[in-house]
Amino acid sequence: MRSRITRRVRIKTPDLNLVDRVKGHIDAIVTAAFQAIFPDRITIQYPRERRDVPDNFRGMIQFDINKCISCFQCSFVCPANAIMMRGAPDGRYYPCIDYTRCIFCHFCVDTCPRGALLRTKIHDVAFSSMEEMFATTEELIEPPEMLREDDTVIRYRIENGDLVLEKIEEIAELSTRPEIQVSPAKLSACAHPENCIACTLCYLTCPSNAISVKVVEGKRTFEIDPKLCTGCGLCVKECPTCTLTLIER
Amino acid sequence: MAVSGTSRQKQTDEVMELTLINTVFQIFSSNMMDIPVIKPLVDVLMTVPIVKYLVALILWKPFFAVILVPGLTGLMLSLLFIIWFERKLTARIQWRMGPLEISRSIGGILQPLADGMRYFFQEIIIHKEAHRPYFVQFPILAFIPVLLPVLFIPAGTVYAIRTPYALPVIVSLISMIPVVIMAIGWASNSRLAFIGTVREAFMYFGYEIPFIIAVLAMAVLYGTSDLYLIVEKQKVWGIALNPISALVFLITMAMATSRLPFEIAEADQEIAFGPFVEYSGILFGLTMTLAYEKMYILGLLFSVLFLGGGSGPPLPFLGDLTPVIWLYIKAVIIMCIMAFLRAVYPRYRIDQALRLGWTYLAGLAVVSVVIAGLISAGGLLP
Repeated sequence: MRSRITRRVRIKTPDLNLVDRVKGHIDAIVTAAFQAIFPDRITIQYPRERRDVPDNFRGMIQFDINKCISCFQCSFVCPANAIMMRGAPDGRYYPCIDYTRCIFCHFCVDTCPRGALLRTKIHDVAFSSMEEMFATTEELIEPPEMLREDDTVIRYRIENGDLVLEKIEEIAELSTRPEIQVSPAKLSACAHPENCIACTLCYLTCPSNAISVKVVEGKRTFEIDPKLCTGCGLCVKECPTCTLTLIER
Repeated sequence: MAVSGTSRQKQTDEVMELTLINTVFQIFSSNMMDIPVIKPLVDVLMTVPIVKYLVALILWKPFFAVILVPGLTGLMLSLLFIIWFERKLTARIQWRMGPLEISRSIGGILQPLADGMRYFFQEIIIHKEAHRPYFVQFPILAFIPVLLPVLFIPAGTVYAIRTPYALPVIVSLISMIPVVIMAIGWASNSRLAFIGTVREAFMYFGYEIPFIIAVLAMAVLYGTSDLYLIVEKQKVWGIALNPISALVFLITMAMATSRLPFEIAEADQEIAFGPFVEYSGILFGLTMTLAYEKMYILGLLFSVLFLGGGSGPPLPFLGDLTPVIWLYIKAVIIMCIMAFLRAVYPRYRIDQALRLGWTYLAGLAVVSVVIAGLISAGGLLP
């Protein structure tokens, strides 16, 4: 499509008389002199000062092993395939994060049904090798090691439409509290009972013993106790015949 | 007979040497700096056999003027200060921090020194197209016109050469600096250096004529071009007698030292330091400081012509050092004003700068000569 603008606009040099010019020069010099004496600096001297970031900042991830139910949701949802579930001596699986792949989308944190993965505000960690960037479960439990030099927190606040920089003498808190689960509660349910081959895999996988087996007339039947089910989806994942599905409570 | 003849010859030689040394010592010690604070120390040192020659040399007024303040040492100190000050001031005005990491507790003032050390240990790359001998020697040769004017600038009674032609000599020496810069650009033999050289040449003609006329106006006003007499005649500072000449001097000084409204020849953003684009290592350090050295010399000249040279309130116990210190402080303040311009103004195009130089500045310079003539002829000089 052709441009409809046909009128050419010529920009002329502003026609200033001598008084305006001198005034402009004096204005510029006075402003500069004022700034030279009382500068409105906006530099954040990063290792010594740290900018305050909101609680939902997507930084390095911390892991609370006591809350984890080994549901694999984090590793399923990870778009970068950065989370690997590793078997632990207690027979359960816990996440390890490969930071060479992680894109810090925090889908894993959002999706965790029990809030076992925590956000931190730490974003400045240096690794000396690629191998080191693979964070095992043990390393995830503690927040990543870092050298803190900061003693000042920088906060911005808006005052009369201006962004004002505040410097507060305190050491920034980098860990966050776990969020209350906001995603809808899920429940495992039988979607296609005709598919079931009674392999008992769901029964064996369930971490909270919500699935029970009964033998009725020589056939195994399964029952899901909605009170015990956490909606972790492990049984759904393990079921070889896609019998089970997750429904909203 | 032969033996005794040789020994007599030897003795005469020794006597002649001694008389020569004593004559030189007499010259040194007859014209020494009189500083009451270190007087007792000097008196003690003057009794020590060999050290006394050294002390006499150092405190000999011409030597002191050229090698210490306001000469070489003063130049180096002011360089270290002004480069730091310029960066720091610009940073403050532009809401940044400026150099800070080296010597954090004193505001990063050692940064230029650290940069200088880095230049020393950096490799000097001489590219294939460069005219090798000229490329290497011109940054060093540039020091001759930069340092020679110091010989003629008096700080009170501390001066190296007093001559009625001091002002013309200084102006002609300062005018030689752009020639060296153009030679540097030619020897670099690269596109950006060429553009920078041409710009430098244009600017040279743009500012040099108003500058010389403005200096001439002051010579007319005082009726002499002996700087010592000019300082003596300034009961009222020259800047109050002929402010237009001072204004023209300041603006042409900004042009001559590539300060920002007229940083056209160097133009970092367009032609990457213009004539000096090919330099690295200590040669770059030399060329980079060239403009600052010129600024120092012009600052000294401005102080002498317009700000009463070394005159000022007497400082107790400093004796002959008082005018030296006042002159130095005035020159450094002028340099600071020049550095301040950098933070305020953007860069002119070359045609704008040339128009300014050839029309307004030249006109104002002529007006300043008229004013100077009127004051001088009317006997209004206090």
